[in-house]
Amino acid sequence: MGHQSRPDHHPSTPPLTGLAASLFRALLPIAERDEVLEELAAEQAERSASRGRFAARIWLWRQLFGSIPALARRAWWRAWTGFEPRANRFNHGGFVVETWIMDLRYSARRLLTRPTFTLLAVLTLALGVGGTAAIFSIVRALLLDPLPVAHEERVGVLWFDGSWTEQEFLHFRPDFPGFQGMAAYTHADQTLEIDRRPIQLVRGISASAELFDVLGARAFIGRTFQTGDDIVGAAPVVVLSYGLWQELGADPSIIGRQLRLGGEPRSVVGVMPREFWFPSPTIRVWAAAGLRPNNRSGNWTLVGRVAQGGDIGRMQGPLRTLAAELGRHWKYPREWDKTVAPAITPLRQYLVGDVRTGLLATLGAMGLILLIACVNVAALMLGQLSGRSTELAVRTALGAARRRLVQQLVFESLLIGFLSAAAGALFAVTAFGTLLRSLPLGALADTAALDWKLFAAAFGFALLAASLVALVPGAALWRGNLQVSLAATRTGGISTRGGRLEGGLVVAQIALAVLLVAGAGLLLRSVANLRGVNVGFRVDNVAIVDATMPAQLSNEQRHQAVLDMLPVLQTLPGVRVVAATHKLPLRGSGHNFGISVLGKPDLEASTTAFRVVTVDYFAAMGIAVRRGRGFVPTDRFSTARLVVVNEALAAKYFPGEDPIGRVLQTFDDRGERIIGVVVNVTEQNLTDGPVPARYMLHEHVPMLWPSTSFVLAAARPEDVPRLLDAGRQAIRREGRALAVERALSMESIFEDAVGVPGRVATLLSLLAGLAMLLGAIGVYGMISHFVTRRTRDYGIRIALGLPPRRVASHVLGRGLRLVGLGSAFGIAGALVLTRLLSTLLYGVRATDPLVLAVAVVALLLAGTLAALIPATRASRTNLMSVLREE
Amino acid sequence: MTANSSKVPESAGVGNFEEQVLLAVIRTGADGYGMRVRRELERVTGRSVTIGSVYATLDRLEAKGLVISARTTTGADSPSRRIFSVTPAGARALVETRAARDKLWAGVNLQPLLPDV
Repeated sequence: MGHQSRPDHHPSTPPLTGLAASLFRALLPIAERDEVLEELAAEQAERSASRGRFAARIWLWRQLFGSIPALARRAWWRAWTGFEPRANRFNHGGFVVETWIMDLRYSARRLLTRPTFTLLAVLTLALGVGGTAAIFSIVRALLLDPLPVAHEERVGVLWFDGSWTEQEFLHFRPDFPGFQGMAAYTHADQTLEIDRRPIQLVRGISASAELFDVLGARAFIGRTFQTGDDIVGAAPVVVLSYGLWQELGADPSIIGRQLRLGGEPRSVVGVMPREFWFPSPTIRVWAAAGLRPNNRSGNWTLVGRVAQGGDIGRMQGPLRTLAAELGRHWKYPREWDKTVAPAITPLRQYLVGDVRTGLLATLGAMGLILLIACVNVAALMLGQLSGRSTELAVRTALGAARRRLVQQLVFESLLIGFLSAAAGALFAVTAFGTLLRSLPLGALADTAALDWKLFAAAFGFALLAASLVALVPGAALWRGNLQVSLAATRTGGISTRGGRLEGGLVVAQIALAVLLVAGAGLLLRSVANLRGVNVGFRVDNVAIVDATMPAQLSNEQRHQAVLDMLPVLQTLPGVRVVAATHKLPLRGSGHNFGISVLGKPDLEASTTAFRVVTVDYFAAMGIAVRRGRGFVPTDRFSTARLVVVNEALAAKYFPGEDPIGRVLQTFDDRGERIIGVVVNVTEQNLTDGPVPARYMLHEHVPMLWPSTSFVLAAARPEDVPRLLDAGRQAIRREGRALAVERALSMESIFEDAVGVPGRVATLLSLLAGLAMLLGAIGVYGMISHFVTRRTRDYGIRIALGLPPRRVASHVLGRGLRLVGLGSAFGIAGALVLTRLLSTLLYGVRATDPLVLAVAVVALLLAGTLAALIPATRASRTNLMSVLREE
Repeated sequence: MTANSSKVPESAGVGNFEEQVLLAVIRTGADGYGMRVRRELERVTGRSVTIGSVYATLDRLEAKGLVISARTTTGADSPSRRIFSVTPAGARALVETRAARDKLWAGVNLQPLLPDV
């Protein structure tokens, strides 16, 4: 093939310019770009001369559009197969995209050939990414997503939350100083009665007419409350939540219809939009309250919107005016003095409450763990790079561009990033549920839902992590003088530089892990102590069904509804004994009554826990009678009132005396005679210790609260789940005035009582496990890297007669030094930081030496295991194979 | 660079457009560069052919070993050109393609199907 003269070649043709030329340029490989463009220019010039410039231009564009698919396919195909024509063998040059595709493929193949490294890197990042994405999604839902309230920054809740009276509210109603509007609300769950359906209990709010105006919320259909809805005697109206409306058939004609709520017919005036909730997502109905100006008992919360231009942070002036006015009208006892410290809490802070700090702390801890994960993977990659230093140096010497080497590294970490995004998203879904359960979020947990944003977050965090991971080794590669490292490898020298940063990071990880393990250990011990508390009743074989009755029932009707239900429940298969009480143990404080003892007039006025029970209550709960007797069926018809007290009450009011036969006075002068003493049960919280309590029969108590708990003692613990269902069904079927609220085992009530420490312990254990795993991976990566750099050195030593075990112990010692140093820092941190947990601890001090020792031993064990793998590898170094590799 | 990984079957016929391109390369003789091949195709077939499809096909043919490309320099100021020539394997592929087609044509009588040509 020789030099030819070409008649159609015009060296003088002006080069092709314009958009079409640029597009062609982009589609052609660099090595062939100029010739093709010149040919196109020549032919265009020719056509321009023969058929006119316009036609020539049209031709060029048709060529372009016709060529795009073929050229694009070719670009991909060349990059994927690595095809390079023979003509270009001295003049390489593909597309920019081509090098990307090639490097991506190269990186993928490199990752596939090193499955251990890939798996470790992906898992490490996935754990960090998944955890961070999960907690971030919860933080976003609770702290960042807007509340369903217009201009929430102007809405707040007044001090003495839940203790305002209707009288106080109505006194100020015309004008709360400094506020555009103020609403009063209180929790009021309602029974919902619909024909041919069992009575249902719906969570509800009773509120003054201003509520929705203060919140700036509009109805989805119909209207919200209007002035006059909350006057006593006004037609009762309710607004439904979107969810309840859907459940009732989603019929828009429900507006104006009547529903039997709380035992009386109320008109539905509106339905709220799907996204509206207040003050918790579980609320399904808002009823306009009939406010009575003379009612001085109150459990109302006041929520207000600050006047236009006002600032919720600068309300001290108006609030003091309010407090002064309160002081003029009412005299308060010292502990209920509303005039002392007037304050307003911004709505979000009120709703989210103390969760904020915990959430941000968890997010911070998780972010730290993600950072550690990044550092670990970066260290693993650094180790890989130093293992490849010969290869890289040779490639550089042969002309590989440094940019290209870094590009390959970036692609490798991006691939790891994508893989860990996928794995992390799966982990995040699991972690999301666990976190929602283990953070003390309460009803607010319902506002956080699993959605695509979680996956977006996982993806974003993974990409961020991948970029971070590429940063350190990329910079090392970019900066590093590969000739030097090549020389270092050749001479087998141990580089003195480097490793210090890496070591410092590993020490920090170990310290963090020790800290978290210590925290988790303390909480786990507390939980174990809590579980060990003697509650005074049987937990394992009792099923509980909570029920409520419509508010308008008389006391007699309530008693009757409860007592009528007992024989029905007694017939259920597997039931040993049934009973009822209005308040179970471990259900928090409340229902305390004043007590006076006949014959002891000088007794200081005080209250004790007061429980209304049925005859078999002690038998059903497994509460032991210590002296005297429990109730028997004939007691129901006794004209004298009877009472059973617990040991704490006997000890407090009858020290050194026999309480049996003595008379307490609760309701009137008739009083009630003590017939027995039972053991103390944990009335309110597990940690409270014994409190005085007394028990009376339904038949002897003139009043009764609308909610009641049925206690179904099973013959065997394994019958409990079946009894829960059977009990619920029976009450649905037979209990005419009873709405089932929930059915749950006594065991789960106990778990609830273990409560926050239990949940935080789960969370901290998870974090601690994660930190320990990552710490181990960090030690492994670091020591592995350390060994790789010294392979030749070890090979020579072993060849010269050093026992391999000495090499292994040298490497192991190196690992343990890091763990030891990290543990020391960790313990120092733990001694300071575990104090933060002190409110959650029970029966264990924050500086418990056993827990700290266990944390250190756990880390030492994990660290030893992690260092053992590279140590074994080092001890098996074979000089000949090392030298051959070089 | 990774090695050329495409495999060439022992005897492979070629597709229609590939066959046309191979023939056009032969027809242009020693001067077979991309644009020249494209023009030859357009001139003979009377259809418009884009430069992109020609180059993509030539790449594929080279990967299969049916053509080979080399560089020639024309002058100091103009870029060198990638000149294609058909390899013996390419020639064999053409023969095989033609033989296969001839076999198909054998015994085919189109006369009854063509109304009074």
